[in-house]
Amino acid sequence: MTVNRRNKPASVNPIKIGQSLGAVLALQGCYRAMPLIHGSQGCSAFPKALLTRHFREPIAVQTSALQEMDVIFDANRNLEEALNIVLSKHRPDIIGIIGTELTDVAGVDYATMLKSYKRERNMRGGLAFSVVLPDFRGSLESGFSATVEAMIDEMIQQVGHRGSRTVNTRQITLLPGSFLTPADVMELKEMISAFGFEVIAVPDISTSLSGHLLTGFSPLTRGGVPLDSMLQSLQSGLTIAVGASMERPARRLHNALGTPYKVFSGAMGLKASDEMLHFLHQISGEPVPLRYCWQRENLLDSMLDAHFQFAGMSVVSALEPDHLYSISAWLEELGVEQKALIASYETPVVAGMEREVWIGDMDDAEVLGKGADLWISNSHGIAGAQRVGAAFMPAGFPVWNELGAYMSVSVGYRGAMEWSNKAGNLLMQREAKHRESSVRHR
Amino acid sequence: MDPIRKDEFDSEACGSKAPKSKPCPRPKPGEAAGGCSFDGAQITLLPIMDAAHLVHGPIACAGNSWESRGTLSSGPSLSQYGFATDLNDSDIIFGGEKKLKESIDYIAGRFAPPAIFVYSTCVTALIGEDMDAVCKEAGDRLGIPVIPVNSPGFVGSKNLGNRLAGDALLQYVIGTGEPEPELPPGVNLIGEYNIAGEMWDIEKLMNSAGIAVTSRITGDARYKEITWAHRAKVNMVVCSRALLGLAKEMESRYGIPYFEGSFYGAKETTYSLRQMAYLMNDRDMERRVDRLTEREESRLIQDLRPYRKILKGKKAVLYTGGVKSWSVISALKELGVQVVGVGTNKSTEDDVRRIADRVGDDTEYIPEGGATRILKTVRERKADIMIAGGRNMYVAMKEQIPFIDINQERHKAYAGYEGLLRLAKELTYSLANPIWKLAASPAPWDKEVPYDR
Repeated sequence: MTVNRRNKPASVNPIKIGQSLGAVLALQGCYRAMPLIHGSQGCSAFPKALLTRHFREPIAVQTSALQEMDVIFDANRNLEEALNIVLSKHRPDIIGIIGTELTDVAGVDYATMLKSYKRERNMRGGLAFSVVLPDFRGSLESGFSATVEAMIDEMIQQVGHRGSRTVNTRQITLLPGSFLTPADVMELKEMISAFGFEVIAVPDISTSLSGHLLTGFSPLTRGGVPLDSMLQSLQSGLTIAVGASMERPARRLHNALGTPYKVFSGAMGLKASDEMLHFLHQISGEPVPLRYCWQRENLLDSMLDAHFQFAGMSVVSALEPDHLYSISAWLEELGVEQKALIASYETPVVAGMEREVWIGDMDDAEVLGKGADLWISNSHGIAGAQRVGAAFMPAGFPVWNELGAYMSVSVGYRGAMEWSNKAGNLLMQREAKHRESSVRHR
Repeated sequence: MDPIRKDEFDSEACGSKAPKSKPCPRPKPGEAAGGCSFDGAQITLLPIMDAAHLVHGPIACAGNSWESRGTLSSGPSLSQYGFATDLNDSDIIFGGEKKLKESIDYIAGRFAPPAIFVYSTCVTALIGEDMDAVCKEAGDRLGIPVIPVNSPGFVGSKNLGNRLAGDALLQYVIGTGEPEPELPPGVNLIGEYNIAGEMWDIEKLMNSAGIAVTSRITGDARYKEITWAHRAKVNMVVCSRALLGLAKEMESRYGIPYFEGSFYGAKETTYSLRQMAYLMNDRDMERRVDRLTEREESRLIQDLRPYRKILKGKKAVLYTGGVKSWSVISALKELGVQVVGVGTNKSTEDDVRRIADRVGDDTEYIPEGGATRILKTVRERKADIMIAGGRNMYVAMKEQIPFIDINQERHKAYAGYEGLLRLAKELTYSLANPIWKLAASPAPWDKEVPYDR
């Protein structure tokens, strides 16, 4: 409805995260991939440290390690050196060159450089692409979706001249948004395949960042969707995008190959799950599997049990745009008051929300959310929640204050149930604490 | 603005002033690991807990890095706030100086900090923002110190960033204040960042021996105490070679003697305390230190007994930066743990010499190469445990190697006598955890023995 900004010059306790981190995250969902950040050392060290802290997994990423003189004279010399080393030492299947604010401001043209590099070395078989992601625009979410888009572009180009394409109507390409956890992606894959479809998720963090001990350590990504599956996804009969930010890559597939697509902007709560399952039921002609019918009842029952807890409660949430949209719809169903909704940056989906949305930071959440009972944000919000006196519920990225956050399910009936219980429990504990402190001792 | 004064920094960027030390090696594209100078400058200055730290640049430098270190505060927490000018497209094109000025005013007005540190980043350095002038003007107008820290990421490594931060302290902070008259003469602790509260253990020891701390530079520091650092009698450089230049400069400017020491291991701790008392030139204090260290050491020997029994003969690979590369070796040796491999990636020549003094000939030096190279050493040398920073933690987990985190993200304090006992316990718990056996054994259906009907 309305998008507001508080009038202050500096960002105080930012939620916004550099776009390049989103790109690194997207590439973790591809098998034997190496994100290569074209910037100074810190541009890769910070995302690596932050992603490691959230997922508790090693993160594959490299850097062109630009220093001042390189930027002034020839930044691409570093990139070439980095490419040489990465290619000869690790032989990745996929390389994503991620341009930063530094290369953008300096006006470095690495797209052309990459083209001639590939031509000169006669590179075939792999997938190498570049994407421009300065962090003075967007946030994690836009970096993630732009990277998927660039990846898809490159695939289309590679396959484009290989003649006609056969469409596999029983195969669906899933484009999961950046806010989905590995467990969420797994849940979505299961939901779609429960209707008899083959699913290829691009990217697929559910098999790379969900924690597995299979292959030991590798400097490349150790799981995720393999390149041949990715290329095969171009034959899918349908694209399902989850999160509005994933509509652009879906549209790419549509424009280039004619693949129809369906976007689910929301992924949380009863209505969103209903919509998704109903859609899958209609396009497949298969009945909704019994386990989802059960889960739906379980969810409704747990919401009934929990609704006492939510009565009269108010919530502040500060998240990336798609995530905020998704969580807001779920909060709607709980019947709580949404005191303040804060997004890291403006996108069409938050601008189109029926509620008032603020573009801002954790400090805005503190000011606007004064008196809230529940605070939903990434771990940066812990101190703010304390100052406001709200119960803190971790969501989004990064979460470092609890184990297994990356395995939490938020989509489908199961996810809605898990989250409703979690939020209810937090409020219950808070209430108990309040009661304790209000006991009068004589 | 000229953020990099090459002539001054190149020769001594990574260590001692003497030109014999190698300059910071250029990070290798495609193989580089570790943070940048911006990161390094923040490491040094963020522990000034009551100051505001404003990052001048687009969001990622601040957005990706705030709240990432385990440095603890005993009081104020303003330094844990993430402040950024959060430049967007048009700021880059038309310049961000106005926004910087407004941000400084805003922070000063709302949070009333004793000082504001302003960090440049690659982009603001590249587009030629005159940060020094903006800071000076704002400082004069607001009546609080606004300190420019010219350490954009692309000038070099983390180490260089530490140094540049030390430089900012010398230029703008140290010597600008005077302590209260009743403060006894004491020691500056330089380069101790109070990770997991280590500083508090050290201070407890110093208090017991009657040694006062004049300024903490900068673990759990308050801005004011650094302004009077020049009134200390002794500088101790704890675990940061990069700040050696600060101590040297203070010696020549204010005549404060300095020494390099560590608090990892009982021997090093005792040595450091003795050295303080000796340089303070106080007989009584020396006697008190002797009594204290004897008492602490004999108690430690008792407490360590059960753990030493388990740890004796165990082999470790140590991969950490700078001073910890050698100081932790001493601590491990006292526990009977043999260091079979040690990283020298971020060490200066002096560090390497000190490592050589402490390890045997058959210890492998790991100069660079990251995770793969460390793992190779662990396997070849049949090490029982890996001791490194958080970035390598999950590498070890994937290979099912017991691991201890020694760097800044950790939650355990290992300094001093109590710290050594804690380290012994952690090593023992880590090695003895049942997970190693469980993870190494296959699922029942993967075992080869067929089911016996």
